Amino acid sequence: MTRANQYALVSEGVSVKIGERTIVHNCGFRVGRGEFVGIIGPNGAGKSTLLKSLRGMLPLASGQVSVFNHPIHSLGDKKAARLVAYMQQEVNVGFGFTALEVVLAGRYPYLKWWQNETEEDRHIAKKYMTFTGIEALADKPVNQVSGGERQRILLAKVLAQETPLIFLDEPTASLDLVYQEEIFRYCQTICKEGKSVLLIAHDIKLAAKFCSRLILLADGQIVADGIPRDVLTVDNLEKAYGLHSAVFLNKVTGNLDIHTYAAAGNTTSQSTVHIIGGGGSTGDIMRSLYERCYRLTAGVLQAGDTDADVATAFGIDFVAGQAFSTITDQQAQQHQRKIASADLVVLGNLCYGKQNVVNLKAAFFAPKLIVIEDTPIAERDFTGGEAAQLYRKLVQQQQVTVMTSMQFLAKIEKNGSAD
Amino acid sequence: MKNRRKSKGLVFAILGILLAVIILVSLGAGQVEVPLTATLAVVVQQLGLPGFAGAELTPEQTAVVWHIRMPRTLVGLLVGAALGVSGAVMQGVFSNPLADPGIIGVSAGASLGAVIAVALGLTANGLYYMPLFALTGALLAVGLTVTLAMRDGKIPVMTLLLAGVAISMLLGAMTSGILTFMNEYRLREFLFWMVGGLDYRRWEHVFLAVGPVMIGVIILCFLARHLNILVLGEQEARSVGLPVVIFRLLLLFVSTVTTATAVCVSGSIGFVGLVVPHIIRLLIGPDHRVLLPACALAGGLFLVGCDTVGRLLIPPAEIRVGIMTALTGAPYFLYLLRRAQKGGGLS
Repeated sequence: MTRANQYALVSEGVSVKIGERTIVHNCGFRVGRGEFVGIIGPNGAGKSTLLKSLRGMLPLASGQVSVFNHPIHSLGDKKAARLVAYMQQEVNVGFGFTALEVVLAGRYPYLKWWQNETEEDRHIAKKYMTFTGIEALADKPVNQVSGGERQRILLAKVLAQETPLIFLDEPTASLDLVYQEEIFRYCQTICKEGKSVLLIAHDIKLAAKFCSRLILLADGQIVADGIPRDVLTVDNLEKAYGLHSAVFLNKVTGNLDIHTYAAAGNTTSQSTVHIIGGGGSTGDIMRSLYERCYRLTAGVLQAGDTDADVATAFGIDFVAGQAFSTITDQQAQQHQRKIASADLVVLGNLCYGKQNVVNLKAAFFAPKLIVIEDTPIAERDFTGGEAAQLYRKLVQQQQVTVMTSMQFLAKIEKNGSAD
Repeated sequence: MKNRRKSKGLVFAILGILLAVIILVSLGAGQVEVPLTATLAVVVQQLGLPGFAGAELTPEQTAVVWHIRMPRTLVGLLVGAALGVSGAVMQGVFSNPLADPGIIGVSAGASLGAVIAVALGLTANGLYYMPLFALTGALLAVGLTVTLAMRDGKIPVMTLLLAGVAISMLLGAMTSGILTFMNEYRLREFLFWMVGGLDYRRWEHVFLAVGPVMIGVIILCFLARHLNILVLGEQEARSVGLPVVIFRLLLLFVSTVTTATAVCVSGSIGFVGLVVPHIIRLLIGPDHRVLLPACALAGGLFLVGCDTVGRLLIPPAEIRVGIMTALTGAPYFLYLLRRAQKGGGLS
C-alpha cells in the first residue's frame, strides 16, 4: 500500500461556483482513516456546499476530490455510494415509509437493479438500527417519530451503507442536547472502528469535545485546520465569526470551553487596571473589566485558585504564586511594581491568612485604589488581627474608595468606566 | 412486520375476490339479464375450456356477454390498471401525493391529438386514427414539458410541474380554438371522447390497449424498488447511488405511454389515478413493490365498478364512466384535502 492510499479523502484546491458566485474557494486538505473531522464555521461559510461537492454532487469550478485514490467525479454512481455515505441536512420522508424501509434504502448500492433486498440486507439494517437504538421503531412511519428518533433513523440508514467514509451535514440541528451528544458519540464509536467521518457542526463546543480534528471555514476558505485546541483560538474565532471570546480548558468538564461577549470600546485607549484577588473573590470583576477591553494585570494569585484560572482564560498578565505556600519576597516585589504602574487598583473581598497577607500590604502602593467590601474584615481575617489592623489603616488612606462588588459592577456597567 | 405482511396478503385476497365478483356482475347485469351460470358458461365455452358442456345458451346471450360486455369489461380493467399504476408512479416521482398523469400534460396533449383527428375527419376512416393521434399528442406534450424543465441534466420537480401546467393551458387553448371551427356532429364526437366512457368498446380496443398497458404496468412494477428510493428526494437518491435523471425519465416515459394508451381507448377519465393510489397506500403502506400491483387491481376494480353502476343506475340510459369516477372521486379528494388541512399535511 502506498502512502497516498492511506487517505480516505483528498481535496485539492477545490473551488465551487453557484451561478457567478464563488461559494467555496481553494479548499485543500486530507482526511486519514479513523479521523473524526468536524467542519465548523459561521452561517453562509460554504460548509454544506463544500461537503456536497466533496461527495460529487456539485460540479467543481477547479480542483479535484479523491476518495481512496479514486477521483469522485469519475466514479460510477453505485461505486461512489459504496465508498461515501452522505446524510443531508433535511430529508423529507413522505408517504409514511417506515423506519426499516428507510434504513434499507442504504443497501441500494449493493443491489443489482432487478434484485430485492436479501435477508442479509435486512440483518445489516437491523444491526445498525440496534446500534442507534431505534430497533423498536422499525415498523413506525418516519413522519410520525420525534426529531431525535428521525435523525437516528437517518444515521442508521447512512451506516447501513457500510462505507469507509461518512459525510454528515448538521445531523444535530434542532435536536435536544442529549440527542446531539448521542449523535456525536455514535460517530466517535464509528471512527474507532477505522471509518472516517466528516461532520458539519453548528455547536463549536460539542465539536471540540468529540472531534479529533476541526476545520474552520469562513467565506468559503479554510481559516484553520488541526486539533481542536489549535483551531479554536481567540484569533481564529474572531477572524471566522467576528466574535470576541476567551478560550480555556474548563476544569469542571475537562473540555475546551469558549466564553463569548460583545466588545465595548477599543483596547488601545483604555487604562490599566490591576486586580488583587484570590479565593475566587475577583472572577466577576476580572470578566467585566476584560469584556470592556481594559488592560488588566493581577496578583498574587495562587496556582489552582479559581481567580488564577479566570486570569489564565482571559490571558491576563498576573503574578502567580505557589499553591498553599506563603508568597515569596520576589513575587511580592513583582506584585508591587505592577500595582505601582497601574492607573487603578482593585482590591477584592479576599480572606487573609499568613500566606497572602502581603497582598494587603502591597495595596498601599496603589496610586488609586478601590476596596471591595462585601463582608466585614473581621470575618475575613485569619491572621489573628494583623490583617484587620492593616485593612482599617488602608481604608483611611486618601486615595481609597470603598464599595461593594455589586456597586462596583454596576458602576462599570453604567459608566463603561472604572475610574 | 408480520402483522403488516399478513394484512398485505389479506388486501390482495380481498381485491382479487371483489374483482372476480365485479367482473361477473359486469358481464351478467344490464338491459339483457344473463344468469350467472350462463355467463360463466359463455366465458368457459369461448375460451375453449372444458366444463359447462351441457349448458344451453341462446345466441343472444353469447353475443351480449362475449362480444359486447366482455370487451367493455376488459378495456375497463386495462384502463383502470393503467391509470391507477401511473398515478401512483407520478405521485412517487414528484414526491407529491397530489400529482397525477394529467399534471405534466398527458391529458391536454391527448385531447389536442384527438381533436385534430376529429377535425381532419379521420375518425370515420378507421378505428385506430383517434387513439394514434391522442397517443402522439400525449407523448409530444410530455416531451415538451420535460425538455422545458430540464436544465444542466437535472429535472427540478417544481419546474417540471409548472412547465406541465403551462403546457396544459397552451394545448387546452389550441384544443378550444380548433373546437370553435368544428361542425356540430364533430363537436359531439369530441365531447363524447372528452367525457371518457367504455360504451361500444370492441375487441379491437382490447387488442390495441392490452400490449402497451400490460408491458407498461409490468415495467413499472419492476422499477418499484428504485421508485421507493426516488421518493426520498433527489439528494437522498443520489447519495445511495441511484442515477436520478435516468430513472425519472424512464418512469415518466413508461407511465406516460401507459396513461396515453388508456386515454386513447376510453377517452379521458379523471380521479382514478389520484384516488386509487391514495386509498391503497392507506391500506398497505407506501412500498411501491406491493403498492403498484395493488393499484393495478384496484384501478381495474374501481373503473369497472363505476361503469357497471353507471349502466344499472337509470336504465335504459347510461351514465358514462368518466362522470361516475368524477362523482365518486371528487368528494373523496375534497375530503382528503380537508383532512390534510386539519392534520397539517398529506401523506
